[in-house]
Amino acid sequence: MMLSYQLPTRRGRLAAIATAGALAVSLAACSSPSSDAGATSGGSTTSDSAKPTTVSFLSWENEETMRPIIDAFEAAHPNITVEFSWAPPVAEYIQTLQTRLSAGTAADVFIITAENRTDLMDSGLVTDLSDQPFMSNIADAAKVPYTQDGKVYGMAISSWGGGILYNEDLLSQVGFTGPVQSWAEFMDLCQKLKDAGIAPFLEAIDSVPVTLDALVGGVNASMGGTMDAAIFSGASSFADTWTAPLTLFQELVDKGYLDRSAAALSGDQVMQEFEAGRVAMISTGSWTPGGIHTAAPDLRFKFMAVPGATTGDTYWVGAVSPGLAINAKTTHLDAALTFLDFIQSKTAVEMYNKETGSITTTKDFTPVVDASLSDLADGVRAGDFYLPMSSWERDQDALLTEATALIQQLVQGSISAADVAAGMDKKLASLG
Amino acid sequence: MSITRVANVAIDDGTHRDARVRRRIDSVGTWGFAAPILAVFLILFLIPLARSVYFSFTDYTGYSTDVNFVGFSNYARIFSDTSLISSLSFTLLFAVATTVLVTVAAIPLALVLNRAFAGRNLVRSVYFFPAVPSAAILGLVWGFILNPLGSGALNTMLRSVFGVGPVPWLADSHLAQASVIAVSLWSQTGWHAVLYLAYLQAIPAEYFEVARIDGASRSQQLRFITLPLLAPAMTVSWLLLMTGGLKVYDLPFTLTGGGPGFATRTLTQSIIQSGIARGDYGTASALAVLFLLAVGGVVLVQLRFSRRMEGRFS
Repeated sequence: MMLSYQLPTRRGRLAAIATAGALAVSLAACSSPSSDAGATSGGSTTSDSAKPTTVSFLSWENEETMRPIIDAFEAAHPNITVEFSWAPPVAEYIQTLQTRLSAGTAADVFIITAENRTDLMDSGLVTDLSDQPFMSNIADAAKVPYTQDGKVYGMAISSWGGGILYNEDLLSQVGFTGPVQSWAEFMDLCQKLKDAGIAPFLEAIDSVPVTLDALVGGVNASMGGTMDAAIFSGASSFADTWTAPLTLFQELVDKGYLDRSAAALSGDQVMQEFEAGRVAMISTGSWTPGGIHTAAPDLRFKFMAVPGATTGDTYWVGAVSPGLAINAKTTHLDAALTFLDFIQSKTAVEMYNKETGSITTTKDFTPVVDASLSDLADGVRAGDFYLPMSSWERDQDALLTEATALIQQLVQGSISAADVAAGMDKKLASLG
Repeated sequence: MSITRVANVAIDDGTHRDARVRRRIDSVGTWGFAAPILAVFLILFLIPLARSVYFSFTDYTGYSTDVNFVGFSNYARIFSDTSLISSLSFTLLFAVATTVLVTVAAIPLALVLNRAFAGRNLVRSVYFFPAVPSAAILGLVWGFILNPLGSGALNTMLRSVFGVGPVPWLADSHLAQASVIAVSLWSQTGWHAVLYLAYLQAIPAEYFEVARIDGASRSQQLRFITLPLLAPAMTVSWLLLMTGGLKVYDLPFTLTGGGPGFATRTLTQSIIQSGIARGDYGTASALAVLFLLAVGGVVLVQLRFSRRMEGRFS
């Protein structure tokens, strides 16, 4: 009789069964990106105005800010319930949205912004809003960043601006009488402050600094707004257009008006110095006055535009704020359109302006802004601003990261202005 | 065949059958207990790894479902990107430096904490505490302390006590790298000292007693008894330090953001920024695959070295 030892085969079969069982579970749970498009394409063809329905909204402003607006919407449209969720800007929001878009679980309405607009529009993930009646109330300048091939995919109701924020009391000590009109005048002001023992200027280099943005914006304006198109088409380069502004910016550092430690500072740290009265001028944006009034109620401050090389050539930094977009695969299209219609209405814009202090840009409402923003708000509403990242047609994040690192090295003193511009050209070439 | 022989064969058959049944029951039990963890390993590691390898040869953006094969172009891009080369070099520096420095600090600390003295338990807790908060929180706190401005906490103390500064702790590339390594050293030394302490307490006291009787000095006891018997602890500690150092992300990101320039940028940060922020899953996946191979290679070499050291001292 054969006493065959059959255990190894049985063990192998048991191992195969265990592994196959685990594999079956995993294959049932996983799916490829192409098969994640579970929602039907297009929107609902039946009217959402009659039957109860929901519209999901992934915001990047928290519920405390958005709740009054959402409550007002639901009161005006009792049959539509808003499923609100949020993720904080920017990287975490983009990651959350990207994950959900890949999985086919993205909200009906979400944020479209400078960092993700190209990917969203190129991939056909957002709905064309061009022909919607409510878009006529949106400022023309606000449509530009979210337009592709003549179609508008995002609805932005506000813009932000930035410039030089100055401490009126400290500047009055050196005879300051009003906004500077040229870069030479700005350097002269900084020297007077330095001589008086006051730290003249500080700005964070955790991104391309505001002063440099504005100086480059001036170059763009002198080229009729075609600078970035020329760079990306190869007709021009960062070396041709950015070297002069970078050289002016380097003057701030070389003359000791901007501390080299700025290479490692965050916007919050710079703001703390300003609120404590330890620095006369900083660069920042229109979202800051509320916080400054809270932290330093007695501080008198105001914004002024960044001066260029030529007298009278001043420029604001700014961009259209992130807009709302509708998921191309939504099954609640009517409800989503109704939601966007409400968000741009005078009622909602007024509430949003009150909640956030933002410079809203819709045509039927003039925002109430902090007194320090009076000049800046006029410039922003007129569309008189520039931000490189909003104008770059592709690879915004990669170029911004490279530019920031190069400018930090410039502030450290390890490379020159020409090296920064050359480095950006090299990066653009590598992104092909 | 005789009856006895048939009977013996029958008895043997029965015995063998019982043994086979027992082995089958043991196997079912073994595989039954292993199946859940195998499933977890498959779902959370092997399948994502396979998908990453696949995406590394494509132009997948994370948005578009239109995925095209691009060959090795993602890999080629990695080796031509200066920021990635910079992040690789800092990651290696961080991993090696923290491994060496934590070991050099943790062993003497463990020896001290192994002695009897008043308040020993409190001292052990104090040294262990930095390992409790998350690295991200430590980065934010130390970012406040190491603020390079004159008003920064450490610079204020240096100016008022010694009249020096301000020191650009996080604004100078080399100082920023040293600061990140120093904060990591501060946060991990206590934890690894406790690991060494556990192994120290497992060394029989008789070894030291015999050594003392034989006239061995303290340093000789340390060199010939304590350190050799700590070799297994070193293997564990170095493995944890090296793997943790190679995949570090949260501490440098919250402390310096990867700057100034790319001085403190890590490979993990590059992978996350490529894949998520830029929607370049292809390049990020290629970087992740290369990272896995590199970390695997380093760990294998380190384990081999550690085992050889353990074998030499055992």
